[in-house]
Amino acid sequence: MRVAIAEDSVLLREGLARLLGEGGFEVVAQCEDADDLLLKVRSFPPDVAIVDIRLPPTHNDEGLRAALEIRKKHPAVGVLVLSQYVELGLALKLLADSAEGVGYLLKDRISDVGEFLGAVSRVANGGSALDPIIVSTLLSRQRPDDPLTRLTPREREVLELMAAGSSNQGIADRLVITLRAVEKYVSSIFGKLGLPSTGSESRRVLAVLTFLRS
Amino acid sequence: MAAAVAIAPRTESSIVRPPNPWLLGAIVVVGCAVPLRSIALALTSHDVDLVRVALLDWITVPFILAGLVAWVRRPESRLGPLMILGGFASGLSALQLTHVDALYTLGAVFDVLPAALFLHVVLAFPDGRLGTRFERMLVSAAYAAAIGLQLVKISLGALGPNSLLELWAWPAAATDVQHVQLLSLSAICLAGVGFLAARRRQAGRPRRRSLALLINSFALGLVMIAVLFVVGAFDGPAFLEIQRATLLVIGISPIVFLLGLLDARLDRSGVADLIVELRAEPAATDLRDALARALRDRSLALVYWLPDFQTYVDVEGRPVELGDEDGRTATSIDRKGAHVAALVHDNALDEEPELLEAVGAAAGIALENGRLNAELRARLEDLKGSRARVLEAGQKERQRLERNLHDGAQQRLVALSLELSLLEEQLAGDPSARGRVDEARREVAMSLEELRDVARGIHPAVLTGHGLAVALESIVARAPVPVRLTIGIDGRLPEQVEVAAYYVVSESLTNIGKHARATRATAAIVRTNGHVVVEVVDDGVGGADTERGSGLRGLADRVEALGGRLRVWTPLGGGTRVKAEIPCV
Repeated sequence: MRVAIAEDSVLLREGLARLLGEGGFEVVAQCEDADDLLLKVRSFPPDVAIVDIRLPPTHNDEGLRAALEIRKKHPAVGVLVLSQYVELGLALKLLADSAEGVGYLLKDRISDVGEFLGAVSRVANGGSALDPIIVSTLLSRQRPDDPLTRLTPREREVLELMAAGSSNQGIADRLVITLRAVEKYVSSIFGKLGLPSTGSESRRVLAVLTFLRS
Repeated sequence: MAAAVAIAPRTESSIVRPPNPWLLGAIVVVGCAVPLRSIALALTSHDVDLVRVALLDWITVPFILAGLVAWVRRPESRLGPLMILGGFASGLSALQLTHVDALYTLGAVFDVLPAALFLHVVLAFPDGRLGTRFERMLVSAAYAAAIGLQLVKISLGALGPNSLLELWAWPAAATDVQHVQLLSLSAICLAGVGFLAARRRQAGRPRRRSLALLINSFALGLVMIAVLFVVGAFDGPAFLEIQRATLLVIGISPIVFLLGLLDARLDRSGVADLIVELRAEPAATDLRDALARALRDRSLALVYWLPDFQTYVDVEGRPVELGDEDGRTATSIDRKGAHVAALVHDNALDEEPELLEAVGAAAGIALENGRLNAELRARLEDLKGSRARVLEAGQKERQRLERNLHDGAQQRLVALSLELSLLEEQLAGDPSARGRVDEARREVAMSLEELRDVARGIHPAVLTGHGLAVALESIVARAPVPVRLTIGIDGRLPEQVEVAAYYVVSESLTNIGKHARATRATAAIVRTNGHVVVEVVDDGVGGADTERGSGLRGLADRVEALGGRLRVWTPLGGGTRVKAEIPCV
């Protein structure tokens, strides 16, 4: 799988490239800023672009704008946004239309190599990866007569993983339960929250997020 | 400073010596002799045009009188002597109505001169000087035509047998010269009218009515002279009537001039009214109006001098520049040797320094109070400005700190933790080393998390990067009660406004969690005519302590530093409502 990286800290960029290289990815572009990334994505689209949200020159929103532009102009390219802070507002912006091929993770997550590489390949394959902080923020949100209280602890765990973009198989591996059990939990959760069951896993992410946000 | 230059010097009048009283006395005596002479003329002759004589006196006496008054009041202006000369010239021209040949000839020589003098007075008004080369040329040409051509005309025998100055009789040439003389004078007078019109267009209509009237009478006089001379040159109809009308009109000018002076006298009664008004200790803005009424100048501006700031300020304490505006003069008002204020007024008031002085003296204490008031306001403005600057500097510093943490320590720790996990992979065969590396990696992760909280507390970077709507999403999601967030603004606001609005919402939500025991809340940010309004309302117990511990004081400081205001309604049992209005164009 081909990866493009946009990160202005050399230390981190090199580290990421090495990590991805050793993980079996092909790093096709290393960029310092958003313009360079957009140029390289245009001329040689990778499977996934990993973008630091704060990029030169102003370190304000260049990274996010580049990510949104790639999502708009190159829907086949997955975009994984990395940041020192994860913000719900930005997640909602990134996932405004769909959760397909998009990820938003705290930078710290790269040190959990296995998880991180899993997230990269998930996004590259059109799946999603949302930082657990986003999900927990959404879950902690106070609601009048909260339907989440009707979930069992196990169902809640499944919901968190689901919202973060895990596939049924991923959830099964993580919780060490059978795929069949996961499917049962998922349909139970959807029933309790009153959500229509959806086909693809990334559409499921969006549905859950929309529910959690309201 | 440039502004001080515009202040009119007030000492000029004391430098010029007043006219010699003997001279003035002589002028009065001779002036009185003119009408006496006319009476004598009327008593001794039977075929004299008495109406014309009377009309010439009608010009002579007011001109001499007005000239005397002007000279005494404004010794530095040449206008007074000029008017006296004009009066005498017209008096002399009346001599041509006598039957004594010598007097007749003398009178004839001065026949046309009053017209030139009148033009001179008109163009030299108000300071008695001809300002431009064009004015000087025009007046010189008028004198040349009125005296020079008159002498040529007379020497060619234009006056007939009684003239003593006839050198050779050549009546045809004399008639030609007369044509040239009258037509050129007529043209010069019309040019003078054009000049008056141009001056008015440039300076605008005089703000004082009496002045406007005077200028109009000047213009009318010049037009009448021009018409008279054209009719005279071509022996047109009704010459006699036009001549009488012209003399009548010219005589009006000095009367209007005297009325104008009387008008100024009347203004003194305005000073008395002013003193009465000031006794009521008018508010700062009313003081200007009272002064404007006393000076009869609605355009009057009052500015105070603040020595500490080295600047003039208006009533509100805002700095103003005294520019060189056309048609305006600034007159300085001093008390006990210290400069207190300046009155910026219409140029026309330059003619009445006594009035300005009287008004300035009458308003002295009130102006001093006004100045103190303005100074207080200026200091308040200054303080507000410095509070805003302190806050902004703090904000910038926080931003810089957060940025340094982000680009420095945080990046390095992330890189370090990545390095540790790569190392961990390589230590597959050594479980104990691997365990220790893993432990180290967890420590780094903890540090990162703590650092992240610190950095976020220093400055919410997401606000700078992505604006209020995005930044508030997380705040609201983490709020202790369900919050309905309404953001009625498109795009970004000025940074300071965003930061203040952000803190108003986040502090209020924190307070709700700590004290309110609320079940729900709303937060709204909207724009209404020139303001950003931030409002956070909860349904809790109310009765919040707005002074201590709630952070509301800090919020108010932040909002007020931007010129806005923060209000809190927190009745016991009635919930709490925090509303900030921040100016934002």
